[in-house]
Amino acid sequence: MRATPVRRAWPWLLGFGALLVLPLITSNAYHRYLLTIILINVILAVGLNIVKGFAGQVTVGHIALAAIGAYTSAALSAYYGVPFWLALPGAMLAAGLAGVMIGIPSFRLEGAYLALATLGLAESVRIYFSATDYFGASIGFGDIPPPFIGGYAINTHLSYYYLVMPLALAGIYFSFAILRSDIGRSFQALREDPLAASVSGINVRKYKLLAFLISALYAGCAGSLQAHLSPGFIHPNNYTIVEMVTLLLMVVLGGIGHIWGGIIGAVLVTIVYDLTRDYYQYQLAIFGMIIVLTVTYMPKGIGGIIDRLFAERRFNARRKASAEKSNAA
Amino acid sequence: MLLEVKGFSKQFGGLAAISNVDFSVKKGEIRGLIGPNGSGKSTLFNLISGVYTPDKGRISLDGEDISGLEPHEIARRGIARTFQLLRLFGQMTVLENLLVGHHAHIRYSAPAAIFGLPNVWAEETRVKDEMMDLLSFIGLADYAGMPAGELSGGQRRLLTIGRAIAMRPKILLLDEPAAGLSPVNVDNLLRLIVSLKERYGLTLVVIEHILKVVMDTCETVTVLEHGEKIAEGPPAKIKDDPRVVEAYLGKEMSDAEVQAFLKAS
Repeated sequence: MRATPVRRAWPWLLGFGALLVLPLITSNAYHRYLLTIILINVILAVGLNIVKGFAGQVTVGHIALAAIGAYTSAALSAYYGVPFWLALPGAMLAAGLAGVMIGIPSFRLEGAYLALATLGLAESVRIYFSATDYFGASIGFGDIPPPFIGGYAINTHLSYYYLVMPLALAGIYFSFAILRSDIGRSFQALREDPLAASVSGINVRKYKLLAFLISALYAGCAGSLQAHLSPGFIHPNNYTIVEMVTLLLMVVLGGIGHIWGGIIGAVLVTIVYDLTRDYYQYQLAIFGMIIVLTVTYMPKGIGGIIDRLFAERRFNARRKASAEKSNAA
Repeated sequence: MLLEVKGFSKQFGGLAAISNVDFSVKKGEIRGLIGPNGSGKSTLFNLISGVYTPDKGRISLDGEDISGLEPHEIARRGIARTFQLLRLFGQMTVLENLLVGHHAHIRYSAPAAIFGLPNVWAEETRVKDEMMDLLSFIGLADYAGMPAGELSGGQRRLLTIGRAIAMRPKILLLDEPAAGLSPVNVDNLLRLIVSLKERYGLTLVVIEHILKVVMDTCETVTVLEHGEKIAEGPPAKIKDDPRVVEAYLGKEMSDAEVQAFLKAS
Protein backbone atom coordinates (compact mmCIF):
# COMPACT_ATOMS: atom_id res chain seq x y z
CA MET A 1 0.00 0.00 0.00
CA ARG A 2 1.53 3.30 -1.09
CA ALA A 3 1.00 6.22 1.26
CA THR A 4 -0.53 9.27 -0.38
CA PRO A 5 0.02 12.76 1.06
CA VAL A 6 -3.48 12.70 2.54
CA ARG A 7 -2.95 9.34 4.18
CA ARG A 8 0.35 10.56 5.59
CA ALA A 9 -1.15 13.75 6.97
CA TRP A 10 -4.13 12.43 8.88
CA PRO A 11 -2.35 10.88 11.92
CA TRP A 12 -0.64 14.21 12.45
CA LEU A 13 -3.90 16.13 12.17
CA LEU A 14 -5.49 13.67 14.59
CA GLY A 15 -2.60 14.09 17.05
CA PHE A 16 -2.81 17.86 16.71
CA GLY A 17 -6.53 17.78 17.40
CA ALA A 18 -6.09 15.59 20.48
CA LEU A 19 -3.34 17.81 21.87
CA LEU A 20 -5.49 20.86 21.15
CA VAL A 21 -8.27 19.73 23.49
CA LEU A 22 -6.04 17.95 26.03
CA PRO A 23 -5.47 20.89 28.44
CA LEU A 24 -9.18 21.76 28.35
CA ILE A 25 -10.00 18.47 30.11
CA THR A 26 -8.66 19.92 33.33
CA SER A 27 -9.21 23.35 34.78
CA ASN A 28 -6.40 22.81 37.27
CA ALA A 29 -3.63 25.30 36.41
CA TYR A 30 -0.94 23.03 37.83
CA HIS A 31 -1.97 20.15 35.58
CA ARG A 32 -1.84 22.49 32.59
CA TYR A 33 1.63 23.56 33.68
CA LEU A 34 2.60 19.89 33.98
CA LEU A 35 1.38 19.20 30.44
CA THR A 36 3.59 22.03 29.20
CA ILE A 37 6.59 20.60 31.08
CA ILE A 38 5.90 17.15 29.61
CA LEU A 39 5.96 18.58 26.09
CA ILE A 40 9.19 20.52 26.73
CA ASN A 41 10.73 17.29 28.03
CA VAL A 42 9.46 15.49 24.93
CA ILE A 43 11.46 17.96 22.82
CA LEU A 44 14.57 17.34 24.95
CA ALA A 45 14.21 13.55 24.97
CA VAL A 46 13.41 13.22 21.26
CA GLY A 47 16.58 15.20 20.53
CA LEU A 48 18.68 13.07 22.88
CA ASN A 49 17.27 9.89 21.35
CA ILE A 50 18.56 10.97 17.92
CA VAL A 51 22.17 11.32 19.04
CA LYS A 52 22.24 8.62 21.72
CA GLY A 53 19.60 6.13 20.66
CA PHE A 54 20.03 6.22 16.89
CA ALA A 55 23.59 7.43 16.32
CA GLY A 56 24.80 5.58 19.45
CA GLN A 57 26.93 8.43 20.78
CA VAL A 58 26.97 8.24 24.58
CA THR A 59 26.69 11.92 25.42
CA VAL A 60 26.08 13.34 28.88
CA GLY A 61 26.25 16.89 27.57
CA HIS A 62 22.67 17.25 26.35
CA ILE A 63 21.47 19.10 29.45
CA ALA A 64 24.23 21.69 29.05
CA LEU A 65 22.98 22.40 25.53
CA ALA A 66 19.55 23.10 26.98
CA ALA A 67 21.24 25.44 29.50
CA ILE A 68 23.03 27.27 26.69
CA GLY A 69 19.72 27.63 24.86
CA ALA A 70 17.94 28.88 27.97
CA TYR A 71 20.61 31.43 28.97
CA THR A 72 21.08 32.68 25.40
CA SER A 73 17.38 33.21 25.01
CA ALA A 74 17.14 34.85 28.44
CA ALA A 75 20.04 37.24 27.86
CA LEU A 76 18.86 38.19 24.36
CA SER A 77 15.35 39.06 25.48
CA ALA A 78 16.07 40.51 28.96
CA TYR A 79 19.14 42.57 28.06
CA TYR A 80 18.67 43.41 24.39
CA GLY A 81 14.89 43.43 24.12
CA VAL A 82 14.97 40.80 21.39
CA PRO A 83 11.45 39.37 20.95
CA PHE A 84 10.96 35.69 21.79
CA TRP A 85 10.39 34.83 18.13
CA LEU A 86 14.01 35.81 17.37
CA ALA A 87 15.47 34.73 20.72
CA LEU A 88 14.23 31.16 20.09
CA PRO A 89 16.17 30.68 16.83
CA GLY A 90 19.11 32.48 18.45
CA ALA A 91 19.05 29.97 21.31
CA MET A 92 18.86 27.08 18.85
CA LEU A 93 21.80 28.46 16.91
CA ALA A 94 23.94 28.88 20.04
CA ALA A 95 23.06 25.38 21.26
CA GLY A 96 23.73 24.01 17.76
CA LEU A 97 27.24 25.48 17.71
CA ALA A 98 27.92 24.13 21.20
CA GLY A 99 26.52 20.75 20.14
CA VAL A 100 28.96 20.52 17.25
CA MET A 101 31.78 21.33 19.68
CA ILE A 102 30.60 18.64 22.10
CA GLY A 103 30.48 16.28 19.12
CA ILE A 104 34.09 16.73 18.06
CA PRO A 105 35.53 14.47 20.81
CA SER A 106 33.33 11.68 19.38
CA PHE A 107 35.79 11.38 16.46
CA ARG A 108 38.28 9.76 18.79
CA LEU A 109 36.33 8.64 21.86
CA GLU A 110 33.68 6.00 22.31
CA GLY A 111 31.36 4.75 25.02
CA ALA A 112 32.36 5.55 28.59
CA TYR A 113 35.25 7.76 27.48
CA LEU A 114 32.98 9.91 25.37
CA ALA A 115 30.54 10.07 28.29
CA LEU A 116 33.31 11.37 30.55
CA ALA A 117 34.48 13.98 28.04
CA THR A 118 30.95 15.29 27.45
CA LEU A 119 30.24 15.24 31.18
CA GLY A 120 33.28 17.45 31.75
CA LEU A 121 32.16 19.89 29.06
CA ALA A 122 28.61 19.96 30.42
CA GLU A 123 29.64 20.59 34.01
CA SER A 124 32.00 23.39 33.00
CA VAL A 125 29.11 25.05 31.15
CA ARG A 126 26.92 24.85 34.26
CA ILE A 127 29.70 26.13 36.51
CA TYR A 128 30.34 28.99 34.09
CA PHE A 129 26.69 30.09 34.33
CA SER A 130 26.63 29.73 38.11
CA ALA A 131 29.76 31.85 38.50
CA THR A 132 29.03 34.65 36.02
CA ASP A 133 27.19 37.70 37.34
CA TYR A 134 26.00 38.63 33.85
CA PHE A 135 23.89 35.44 33.86
CA GLY A 136 22.69 35.91 37.43
CA ALA A 137 25.36 33.61 38.86
CA SER A 138 24.11 31.30 41.62
CA ILE A 139 21.11 33.54 42.35
CA GLY A 140 19.56 32.63 39.03
CA PHE A 141 18.43 34.59 35.98
CA GLY A 142 15.06 36.29 36.63
CA ASP A 143 12.65 38.67 34.91
CA ILE A 144 12.85 36.95 31.55
CA PRO A 145 10.00 38.49 29.55
CA PRO A 146 7.27 36.19 28.23
CA PRO A 147 6.67 35.85 24.48
CA PHE A 148 4.30 38.41 23.00
CA ILE A 149 1.90 38.21 20.09
CA GLY A 150 1.22 41.84 19.26
CA GLY A 151 0.29 43.31 22.65
CA TYR A 152 -0.81 39.96 24.09
CA ALA A 153 1.62 38.32 26.53
CA ILE A 154 1.78 34.52 26.56
CA ASN A 155 2.14 34.21 30.31
CA THR A 156 -0.70 31.95 31.44
CA HIS A 157 -0.18 28.21 31.67
CA LEU A 158 -2.87 27.58 29.08
CA SER A 159 -1.56 30.04 26.49
CA TYR A 160 2.01 28.81 27.03
CA TYR A 161 0.83 25.26 26.40
CA TYR A 162 -0.51 26.37 23.03
CA LEU A 163 2.89 27.91 22.26
CA VAL A 164 4.83 24.77 23.20
CA MET A 165 2.47 22.18 21.71
CA PRO A 166 2.92 23.01 17.99
CA LEU A 167 6.69 23.22 18.50
CA ALA A 168 6.76 19.82 20.22
CA LEU A 169 4.59 18.29 17.50
CA ALA A 170 6.85 19.79 14.82
CA GLY A 171 9.86 18.39 16.68
CA ILE A 172 8.28 14.94 16.68
CA TYR A 173 7.41 15.25 12.99
CA PHE A 174 10.98 16.22 12.04
CA SER A 175 12.43 13.39 14.12
CA PHE A 176 10.17 10.86 12.38
CA ALA A 177 11.10 12.26 8.97
CA ILE A 178 14.81 12.18 9.76
CA LEU A 179 14.87 8.75 11.36
CA ARG A 180 12.84 7.11 8.58
CA SER A 181 15.10 8.53 5.87
CA ASP A 182 18.59 7.72 4.68
CA ILE A 183 19.93 10.01 7.42
CA GLY A 184 18.35 7.88 10.15
CA ARG A 185 19.68 4.69 8.58
CA SER A 186 23.16 6.20 8.37
CA PHE A 187 22.96 7.13 12.08
CA GLN A 188 22.03 3.56 12.98
CA ALA A 189 24.74 2.13 10.75
CA LEU A 190 27.44 4.15 12.47
CA ARG A 191 26.04 3.06 15.83
CA GLU A 192 26.08 -0.62 14.85
CA ASP A 193 29.48 -0.71 13.15
CA PRO A 194 31.37 2.48 12.19
CA LEU A 195 33.88 0.59 10.04
CA ALA A 196 31.22 -1.24 8.03
CA ALA A 197 29.36 2.06 7.69
CA SER A 198 32.39 3.84 6.27
CA VAL A 199 33.19 1.16 3.69
CA SER A 200 29.51 1.36 2.71
CA GLY A 201 30.16 4.96 1.66
CA ILE A 202 28.98 6.78 4.80
CA ASN A 203 31.10 9.71 5.95
CA VAL A 204 31.13 8.70 9.61
CA ARG A 205 32.47 11.99 11.00
CA LYS A 206 29.98 14.07 9.05
CA TYR A 207 27.03 12.01 10.26
CA LYS A 208 28.25 12.01 13.88
CA LEU A 209 28.39 15.81 13.79
CA LEU A 210 25.00 15.98 12.07
CA ALA A 211 23.49 13.87 14.89
CA PHE A 212 25.04 16.12 17.53
CA LEU A 213 23.87 19.24 15.65
CA ILE A 214 20.28 18.07 15.22
CA SER A 215 19.95 16.98 18.83
CA ALA A 216 21.47 20.29 19.98
CA LEU A 217 18.85 22.25 18.02
CA TYR A 218 16.17 20.34 19.95
CA ALA A 219 17.92 21.08 23.24
CA GLY A 220 18.26 24.77 22.39
CA CYS A 221 14.57 25.01 21.54
CA ALA A 222 13.57 23.28 24.79
CA GLY A 223 15.94 25.50 26.79
CA SER A 224 14.47 28.66 25.32
CA LEU A 225 10.95 27.45 26.13
CA GLN A 226 12.01 26.76 29.74
CA ALA A 227 13.43 30.27 30.07
CA HIS A 228 10.35 32.17 28.92
CA LEU A 229 7.90 30.00 30.83
CA SER A 230 6.21 32.04 33.55
CA PRO A 231 7.60 33.27 35.97
CA GLY A 232 10.59 33.70 33.62
CA PHE A 233 13.28 32.37 35.92
CA ILE A 234 16.11 29.90 35.31
CA HIS A 235 18.77 28.64 37.68
CA PRO A 236 22.02 26.66 37.17
CA ASN A 237 20.56 23.99 39.45
CA ASN A 238 18.02 23.17 36.73
CA TYR A 239 20.88 21.87 34.59
CA THR A 240 22.80 19.50 36.86
CA ILE A 241 23.80 15.88 36.45
CA VAL A 242 20.53 14.93 38.19
CA GLU A 243 18.55 16.49 35.35
CA MET A 244 20.82 14.71 32.86
CA VAL A 245 20.17 11.34 34.53
CA THR A 246 16.45 12.07 34.38
CA LEU A 247 16.77 12.78 30.65
CA LEU A 248 18.74 9.59 30.12
CA LEU A 249 16.07 7.69 32.00
CA MET A 250 13.42 9.03 29.60
CA VAL A 251 15.30 7.72 26.59
CA VAL A 252 16.32 4.40 28.16
CA LEU A 253 12.88 3.64 29.58
CA GLY A 254 11.06 4.72 26.41
CA GLY A 255 13.38 2.67 24.25
CA ILE A 256 16.87 3.58 23.07
CA GLY A 257 16.84 3.87 19.31
CA HIS A 258 13.06 3.39 19.13
CA ILE A 259 11.33 6.05 17.11
CA TRP A 260 8.76 6.56 19.90
CA GLY A 261 11.32 6.10 22.69
CA GLY A 262 11.87 9.73 23.65
CA ILE A 263 8.16 10.51 23.57
CA ILE A 264 6.98 7.58 25.72
CA GLY A 265 9.86 8.10 28.16
CA ALA A 266 9.38 11.85 28.54
CA VAL A 267 5.67 11.48 29.30
CA LEU A 268 6.13 8.68 31.86
CA VAL A 269 9.20 10.04 33.59
CA THR A 270 7.85 13.58 33.91
CA ILE A 271 4.72 12.21 35.58
CA VAL A 272 6.72 9.93 37.90
CA TYR A 273 9.11 12.81 38.63
CA ASP A 274 6.18 14.95 39.66
CA LEU A 275 4.53 12.24 41.79
CA THR A 276 7.77 11.56 43.70
CA ARG A 277 8.55 15.23 44.27
CA ASP A 278 7.97 14.83 48.03
CA TYR A 279 10.75 12.27 48.18
CA TYR A 280 13.18 14.34 46.16
CA GLN A 281 16.19 13.19 48.21
CA TYR A 282 15.63 9.65 46.92
CA GLN A 283 14.76 10.59 43.33
CA LEU A 284 18.22 10.14 41.88
CA ALA A 285 18.56 6.74 43.56
CA ILE A 286 15.14 5.65 42.27
CA PHE A 287 15.86 6.84 38.73
CA GLY A 288 19.31 5.26 38.70
CA MET A 289 17.77 1.98 39.82
CA ILE A 290 15.09 2.11 37.12
CA ILE A 291 17.82 2.68 34.50
CA VAL A 292 19.78 -0.37 35.72
CA LEU A 293 16.65 -2.54 35.85
CA THR A 294 15.48 -1.38 32.42
CA VAL A 295 18.83 -2.00 30.79
CA THR A 296 19.03 -5.45 32.42
CA TYR A 297 15.50 -6.73 31.89
CA MET A 298 14.16 -4.78 28.90
CA PRO A 299 17.13 -3.35 27.02
CA LYS A 300 14.91 -1.99 24.27
CA GLY A 301 12.65 -0.19 26.72
CA ILE A 302 8.90 0.12 26.56
CA GLY A 303 8.99 0.84 22.83
CA GLY A 304 10.81 -2.44 22.26
CA ILE A 305 8.24 -4.38 24.29
CA ILE A 306 5.36 -2.88 22.31
CA ASP A 307 7.15 -3.76 19.07
CA ARG A 308 7.58 -7.35 20.21
CA LEU A 309 3.90 -7.66 21.13
CA PHE A 310 2.92 -6.53 17.64
CA ALA A 311 5.50 -8.79 16.03
CA GLU A 312 4.23 -11.79 18.03
CA ARG A 313 0.64 -11.05 17.06
CA ARG A 314 1.57 -10.77 13.40
CA PHE A 315 3.57 -13.98 13.65
CA ASN A 316 0.72 -15.86 15.34
CA ALA A 317 -1.80 -14.56 12.82
CA ARG A 318 0.39 -15.66 9.93
CA ARG A 319 0.95 -19.10 11.49
CA LYS A 320 -2.77 -19.52 12.03
CA ALA A 321 -3.51 -18.48 8.44
CA SER A 322 -1.00 -20.91 7.00
CA ALA A 323 -2.28 -23.72 9.27
CA GLU A 324 -5.84 -23.11 8.06
CA LYS A 325 -4.65 -23.10 4.48
CA SER A 326 -2.93 -26.46 4.87
CA ASN A 327 -5.99 -27.86 6.71
CA ALA A 328 -8.25 -26.77 3.88
CA ALA A 329 -5.95 -28.41 1.36
CA MET B 1 43.35 -2.20 -15.93
CA LEU B 2 40.41 -1.48 -13.64
CA LEU B 3 42.31 -1.72 -10.37
CA GLU B 4 45.99 -1.05 -10.27
CA VAL B 5 48.07 -1.33 -7.09
CA LYS B 6 51.75 -0.44 -7.33
CA GLY B 7 54.32 -1.20 -4.62
CA PHE B 8 52.02 -1.40 -1.61
CA SER B 9 53.88 -1.85 1.69
CA LYS B 10 52.52 -1.90 5.23
CA GLN B 11 54.36 -2.53 8.48
CA PHE B 12 52.80 -3.29 11.87
CA GLY B 13 55.52 -2.68 14.44
CA GLY B 14 58.45 -4.68 13.12
CA LEU B 15 56.31 -7.00 11.02
CA ALA B 16 56.00 -6.38 7.29
CA ALA B 17 52.37 -7.41 6.69
CA ILE B 18 52.59 -6.46 3.02
CA SER B 19 55.82 -5.65 1.25
CA ASN B 20 56.09 -4.17 -2.20
CA VAL B 21 53.05 -5.87 -3.71
CA ASP B 22 51.85 -5.05 -7.23
CA PHE B 23 48.32 -6.14 -7.93
CA SER B 24 46.33 -5.40 -11.08
CA VAL B 25 42.86 -6.59 -11.97
CA LYS B 26 41.28 -6.42 -15.43
CA LYS B 27 37.70 -5.31 -15.92
CA GLY B 28 35.28 -8.24 -15.79
CA GLU B 29 37.79 -10.64 -14.27
CA ILE B 30 37.29 -13.01 -11.34
CA ARG B 31 40.56 -12.97 -9.46
CA GLY B 32 41.47 -15.42 -6.71
CA LEU B 33 43.69 -14.32 -3.84
CA ILE B 34 45.16 -17.19 -1.86
CA GLY B 35 47.94 -17.81 0.63
CA PRO B 36 48.51 -19.41 4.02
CA ASN B 37 47.20 -17.82 7.23
CA GLY B 38 48.90 -14.54 7.98
CA SER B 39 50.17 -14.10 4.46
CA GLY B 40 48.60 -10.64 4.16
CA LYS B 41 45.44 -11.27 2.10
CA SER B 42 43.06 -9.42 4.40
CA THR B 43 45.64 -6.69 4.96
CA LEU B 44 45.75 -6.16 1.20
CA PHE B 45 41.93 -5.79 1.19
CA ASN B 46 42.14 -3.33 4.08
CA LEU B 47 44.73 -1.30 2.17
CA ILE B 48 42.70 -1.28 -1.06
CA SER B 49 39.48 -0.25 0.70
CA GLY B 50 41.24 2.50 2.66
CA VAL B 51 40.72 0.96 6.10
CA TYR B 52 44.53 1.03 6.47
CA THR B 53 46.77 3.59 4.78
CA PRO B 54 49.81 2.04 3.12
CA ASP B 55 53.32 3.12 4.17
CA LYS B 56 54.32 3.10 0.52
CA GLY B 57 52.64 2.59 -2.83
CA ARG B 58 49.92 4.00 -5.09
CA ILE B 59 46.50 2.73 -6.08
CA SER B 60 44.27 3.73 -8.96
CA LEU B 61 40.78 2.73 -10.00
CA ASP B 62 39.68 3.07 -13.62
CA GLY B 63 42.64 5.38 -14.26
CA GLU B 64 41.89 7.68 -11.32
CA ASP B 65 44.48 7.89 -8.54
CA ILE B 66 42.68 7.10 -5.28
CA SER B 67 45.72 6.85 -3.00
CA GLY B 68 45.20 8.25 0.48
CA LEU B 69 41.43 8.65 0.22
CA GLU B 70 39.21 7.76 3.17
CA PRO B 71 37.18 4.53 3.16
CA HIS B 72 33.87 6.24 2.39
CA GLU B 73 35.41 8.15 -0.53
CA ILE B 74 36.92 4.96 -1.94
CA ALA B 75 33.55 3.23 -1.52
CA ARG B 76 31.82 5.99 -3.45
CA ARG B 77 34.28 5.64 -6.31
CA GLY B 78 33.30 2.02 -6.76
CA ILE B 79 35.21 -0.36 -4.51
CA ALA B 80 32.98 -2.54 -2.32
CA ARG B 81 34.10 -5.23 0.08
CA THR B 82 32.84 -7.83 2.52
CA PHE B 83 34.44 -8.81 5.81
CA GLN B 84 35.54 -12.20 7.08
CA LEU B 85 33.66 -11.39 10.30
CA LEU B 86 30.63 -10.15 8.29
CA ARG B 87 30.07 -6.89 10.21
CA LEU B 88 26.38 -6.64 9.44
CA PHE B 89 24.19 -4.01 11.09
CA GLY B 90 22.62 -6.61 13.39
CA GLN B 91 19.78 -4.56 14.86
CA MET B 92 18.69 -3.13 11.53
CA THR B 93 16.42 -5.11 9.24
CA VAL B 94 17.68 -7.11 6.27
CA LEU B 95 16.22 -4.53 3.86
CA GLU B 96 17.77 -1.64 5.82
CA ASN B 97 21.19 -3.29 5.58
CA LEU B 98 20.93 -3.14 1.80
CA LEU B 99 19.61 0.42 1.91
CA VAL B 100 22.67 1.47 3.91
CA GLY B 101 24.80 -0.13 1.19
CA HIS B 102 22.86 1.92 -1.38
CA HIS B 103 23.52 5.13 0.62
CA ALA B 104 25.65 6.84 -2.05
CA HIS B 105 22.94 6.44 -4.70
CA ILE B 106 20.01 7.85 -2.76
CA ARG B 107 19.07 11.12 -4.37
CA TYR B 108 17.55 13.60 -1.97
CA SER B 109 19.07 16.37 0.08
CA ALA B 110 19.40 16.40 3.86
CA PRO B 111 16.97 19.33 4.26
CA ALA B 112 14.39 17.50 2.13
CA ALA B 113 14.76 14.46 4.40
CA ILE B 114 14.41 16.55 7.56
CA PHE B 115 11.21 18.17 6.31
CA GLY B 116 9.91 14.86 4.94
CA LEU B 117 9.12 16.25 1.48
CA PRO B 118 7.21 14.19 -1.10
CA ASN B 119 10.30 13.68 -3.29
CA VAL B 120 11.85 11.85 -0.33
CA TRP B 121 8.91 9.40 -0.19
CA ALA B 122 9.09 8.83 -3.93
CA GLU B 123 12.82 8.17 -3.83
CA GLU B 124 12.44 5.90 -0.78
CA THR B 125 9.81 3.86 -2.62
CA ARG B 126 12.04 3.61 -5.68
CA VAL B 127 15.15 2.46 -3.80
CA LYS B 128 13.18 0.07 -1.60
CA ASP B 129 11.72 -1.60 -4.71
CA GLU B 130 15.19 -1.81 -6.19
CA MET B 131 16.64 -3.35 -3.03
CA MET B 132 13.74 -5.81 -2.77
CA ASP B 133 14.66 -6.92 -6.29
CA LEU B 134 18.21 -7.57 -5.16
CA LEU B 135 16.93 -9.37 -2.05
CA SER B 136 14.82 -11.71 -4.20
CA PHE B 137 17.83 -12.38 -6.37
CA ILE B 138 19.91 -13.50 -3.40
CA GLY B 139 16.92 -15.37 -1.94
CA LEU B 140 16.33 -13.29 1.17
CA ALA B 141 13.15 -11.43 0.18
CA ASP B 142 11.09 -13.32 2.77
CA TYR B 143 13.30 -11.98 5.53
CA ALA B 144 13.24 -8.31 4.47
CA GLY B 145 11.68 -7.08 7.72
CA MET B 146 13.70 -9.27 10.06
CA PRO B 147 16.64 -7.92 12.09
CA ALA B 148 19.82 -9.02 10.32
CA GLY B 149 21.17 -10.40 13.61
CA GLU B 150 18.47 -13.08 13.60
CA LEU B 151 19.46 -14.63 10.26
CA SER B 152 21.29 -17.95 10.09
CA GLY B 153 25.01 -18.03 9.40
CA GLY B 154 24.67 -18.79 5.70
CA GLN B 155 22.00 -16.13 5.21
CA ARG B 156 24.23 -13.57 6.89
CA ARG B 157 27.03 -14.35 4.45
CA LEU B 158 24.59 -13.82 1.58
CA LEU B 159 23.43 -10.54 3.09
CA THR B 160 26.96 -9.13 3.37
CA ILE B 161 27.43 -9.86 -0.32
CA GLY B 162 24.05 -8.25 -1.01
CA ARG B 163 24.98 -5.15 0.98
CA ALA B 164 28.20 -4.79 -1.02
CA ILE B 165 26.36 -5.21 -4.34
CA ALA B 166 23.78 -2.64 -3.25
CA MET B 167 26.67 -0.16 -3.50
CA ARG B 168 26.69 -0.71 -7.28
CA PRO B 169 30.47 -1.12 -7.21
CA LYS B 170 32.83 -1.43 -10.14
CA ILE B 171 34.88 -3.98 -8.24
CA LEU B 172 33.88 -6.22 -5.36
CA LEU B 173 36.34 -7.67 -2.85
CA LEU B 174 35.02 -10.84 -1.17
CA ASP B 175 36.85 -11.92 1.99
CA GLU B 176 36.27 -15.68 2.45
CA PRO B 177 32.65 -15.75 1.27
CA ALA B 178 32.38 -19.53 1.69
CA ALA B 179 33.90 -19.84 5.17
CA GLY B 180 31.81 -22.07 7.41
CA LEU B 181 29.36 -23.14 4.70
CA SER B 182 28.42 -26.76 4.07
CA PRO B 183 29.67 -28.25 0.75
CA VAL B 184 26.17 -27.99 -0.82
CA ASN B 185 25.93 -24.34 0.17
CA VAL B 186 29.41 -23.67 -1.17
CA ASP B 187 28.26 -24.85 -4.61
CA ASN B 188 25.12 -22.72 -4.40
CA LEU B 189 27.18 -19.72 -3.37
CA LEU B 190 29.55 -20.21 -6.30
CA ARG B 191 26.65 -20.26 -8.74
CA LEU B 192 25.20 -17.16 -7.10
CA ILE B 193 28.48 -15.27 -7.23
CA VAL B 194 28.92 -16.02 -10.92
CA SER B 195 25.35 -14.99 -11.72
CA LEU B 196 25.68 -11.80 -9.68
CA LYS B 197 28.82 -10.98 -11.61
CA GLU B 198 26.95 -11.40 -14.91
CA ARG B 199 23.86 -9.50 -13.78
CA TYR B 200 25.63 -6.49 -12.31
CA GLY B 201 28.70 -6.44 -14.58
CA LEU B 202 31.08 -6.84 -11.67
CA THR B 203 34.78 -7.42 -11.38
CA LEU B 204 35.59 -9.70 -8.46
CA VAL B 205 38.54 -10.38 -6.19
CA VAL B 206 37.96 -13.41 -3.94
CA ILE B 207 40.00 -14.46 -0.92
CA GLU B 208 39.26 -18.10 -0.28
CA HIS B 209 40.69 -21.01 1.66
CA ILE B 210 38.44 -23.56 0.03
CA LEU B 211 40.65 -24.22 -2.98
CA LYS B 212 37.78 -25.74 -4.97
CA VAL B 213 36.13 -22.32 -5.02
CA VAL B 214 39.24 -20.68 -6.41
CA MET B 215 40.07 -23.42 -8.90
CA ASP B 216 36.51 -23.60 -10.28
CA THR B 217 35.68 -19.92 -10.59
CA CYS B 218 38.80 -17.84 -11.00
CA GLU B 219 40.57 -17.12 -14.27
CA THR B 220 43.70 -15.88 -12.57
CA VAL B 221 45.04 -16.56 -9.09
CA THR B 222 47.45 -14.44 -7.05
CA VAL B 223 49.39 -16.14 -4.26
CA LEU B 224 50.74 -14.26 -1.23
CA GLU B 225 53.17 -15.51 1.38
CA HIS B 226 54.69 -13.48 4.23
CA GLY B 227 53.30 -10.34 2.63
CA GLU B 228 54.93 -10.92 -0.72
CA LYS B 229 53.46 -11.97 -4.03
CA ILE B 230 55.06 -15.33 -4.87
CA ALA B 231 53.01 -16.38 -7.90
CA GLU B 232 50.30 -15.26 -10.30
CA GLY B 233 48.65 -17.09 -13.16
CA PRO B 234 45.88 -19.48 -14.22
CA PRO B 235 44.76 -21.91 -11.46
CA ALA B 236 46.08 -25.03 -13.20
CA LYS B 237 49.57 -23.60 -13.41
CA ILE B 238 49.50 -22.19 -9.88
CA LYS B 239 48.61 -25.60 -8.46
CA ASP B 240 51.91 -27.09 -9.66
CA ASP B 241 54.13 -24.08 -8.90
CA PRO B 242 56.82 -25.37 -6.50
CA ARG B 243 56.84 -22.15 -4.47
CA VAL B 244 53.09 -22.36 -3.92
CA VAL B 245 53.29 -26.03 -2.94
CA GLU B 246 56.06 -25.13 -0.53
CA ALA B 247 54.10 -22.28 0.98
CA TYR B 248 51.12 -24.52 1.66
CA LEU B 249 52.68 -27.92 2.39
CA GLY B 250 56.28 -27.14 3.29
CA LYS B 251 59.42 -28.23 1.55
CA GLU B 252 60.37 -31.80 0.82
CA MET B 253 63.48 -32.76 2.82
CA SER B 254 66.33 -34.85 1.49
CA ASP B 255 67.34 -37.96 3.47
CA ALA B 256 70.40 -36.17 4.83
CA GLU B 257 68.27 -33.26 6.02
CA VAL B 258 65.86 -35.64 7.78
CA GLN B 259 68.74 -37.31 9.58
CA ALA B 260 70.16 -33.96 10.63
CA PHE B 261 66.75 -32.83 11.86
CA LEU B 262 66.24 -36.01 13.91
CA LYS B 263 69.66 -35.72 15.47
CA ALA B 264 69.09 -32.14 16.46
CA SER B 265 65.77 -32.81 18.14
